[in-house]
Amino acid sequence: MENILEVKKLSKKYTGFELKNISFELPKGMIMGFIGENGAGKTTTIKSILNIIGNYKGEVKIFGLDNKKNEREIKEDIGVVLDDMFFPEILLPKDINTIMKDVYKNWDSDLYFKYLRDFNLPKDKQIKTYSKGMRKKLEIAASLSHHPKLLILDEPTSGLDPIARNEVIDIFRDFIQNEECGVLLSSHITSDLEHIADYITFINDGEIILSKTKDELIEQYGIVKCTESEFKKVDKQDYIKYKKTKYECELLVENKNEFKKKYNVNTIDKISLEDLMVLMVKGEK
Amino acid sequence: MIGLIKKDFLMLKGNFKTWLILLFVYIVMAFQESMSLAFLLPFMCVVTMLSTFSYDSYNKWDAYVCSLPDGRKNSVRAKYIATILLILVTVIITTILTIIIGYYRTKTINLESMGETIMGAIFATTLLQSIMYPAIYKFGVEKARIAIFIVVFGFALIGGVLSKYIDFESIIQGLAFLENYMMIIIPIIIVVMLYISYKISEAIYNRKEY
Repeated sequence: MENILEVKKLSKKYTGFELKNISFELPKGMIMGFIGENGAGKTTTIKSILNIIGNYKGEVKIFGLDNKKNEREIKEDIGVVLDDMFFPEILLPKDINTIMKDVYKNWDSDLYFKYLRDFNLPKDKQIKTYSKGMRKKLEIAASLSHHPKLLILDEPTSGLDPIARNEVIDIFRDFIQNEECGVLLSSHITSDLEHIADYITFINDGEIILSKTKDELIEQYGIVKCTESEFKKVDKQDYIKYKKTKYECELLVENKNEFKKKYNVNTIDKISLEDLMVLMVKGEK
Repeated sequence: MIGLIKKDFLMLKGNFKTWLILLFVYIVMAFQESMSLAFLLPFMCVVTMLSTFSYDSYNKWDAYVCSLPDGRKNSVRAKYIATILLILVTVIITTILTIIIGYYRTKTINLESMGETIMGAIFATTLLQSIMYPAIYKFGVEKARIAIFIVVFGFALIGGVLSKYIDFESIIQGLAFLENYMMIIIPIIIVVMLYISYKISEAIYNRKEY
């Protein structure tokens, strides 16, 4: 399968934080959920991919092209939503059309105004009068209106109510239907990713600790709930992390079936992305 | 880049009433004294353009613009061109008004003195722009104001100290022969000054991480 985005050994050092050899690949026609707690390095990774921040080590290829050497060409085909970064709020949504039609060669004014109508966004009101959710929808409309092939979205659903989130998720789902496009989507709302993501990439403290298809994750990973005495009998290499609660222990296991066989366990709970995040970050080894 | 220039102009359209008031003030003053306020409108261009920097910074526009095709490359260029265009427009308006009002008052047109005044106004305005913009790109709007104050104060202080040891008056008298060439020298200085300022701003912007 051809990759639309390849990140290889991306490293970036700040005082007190470091991106450590980030690598992942997003095949065409797929949506990748990029998860991790606040400060884990999601936005730094996204900004590096987009060359918003420079001086990083490593290689980023988009549409098979180097993101620095072919920056202009690549960016014509990328739609971007950045967390809390957008047009000055003194502007009107219709101004964005006036500006962007001279920024992107493929800007489609009709499509942009269609999105505004679909999202119930008045085009003649200053952005500063918009609610947080409306601003987010406006950012999404602007990111989609030049017929991009790759969407890079940092927290695109934050601030949206469940109905708007569903609307937006459906748009992303439609977007990848032609199999030539791709979406990299960072989000804290893991339930959204469970609905649409084909791949999950998990970053923690500047390191990728997991990058797999969602199906693999859901089929293979699981949570074993047991008593403390049962937990003591489990080999360390058979679980990734564990967490003790008042009444039981929760073990994150990488291979449900093997664990079942080895320890004669009948049921292992299916894992949600939220459980996975919490156990990976807060669990102990 | 045209899109980004349009963006700055669109951001300024909210200042339309302020511009009308200033225009009215200028017309009234011009009837009294003709040319002394020729710098007013061009000077206001730079002042109002500063508000676009504030909005850009508040909405973290710079990170977003860097994600657009040629966004980083064109962002600084667009800001300089938008300001220069605005200055040119206001200079043209000021000149036309000055000619009309001057002729109405005295029934004569003194092109030479008007040219010098207008050139002086453009020089003062572009000097402000050339100093302010790199400072804004480096420190942000708020800190840049303080930085400019420190620089101006520093220059005044150094000038004051040096004046005790250097005879500035004789230097100025020595350069008096240049007076006849001012209408050629000043435009060259303006272009060089803006070019250097632009290059510094561009270098700062290219290194900056948003």
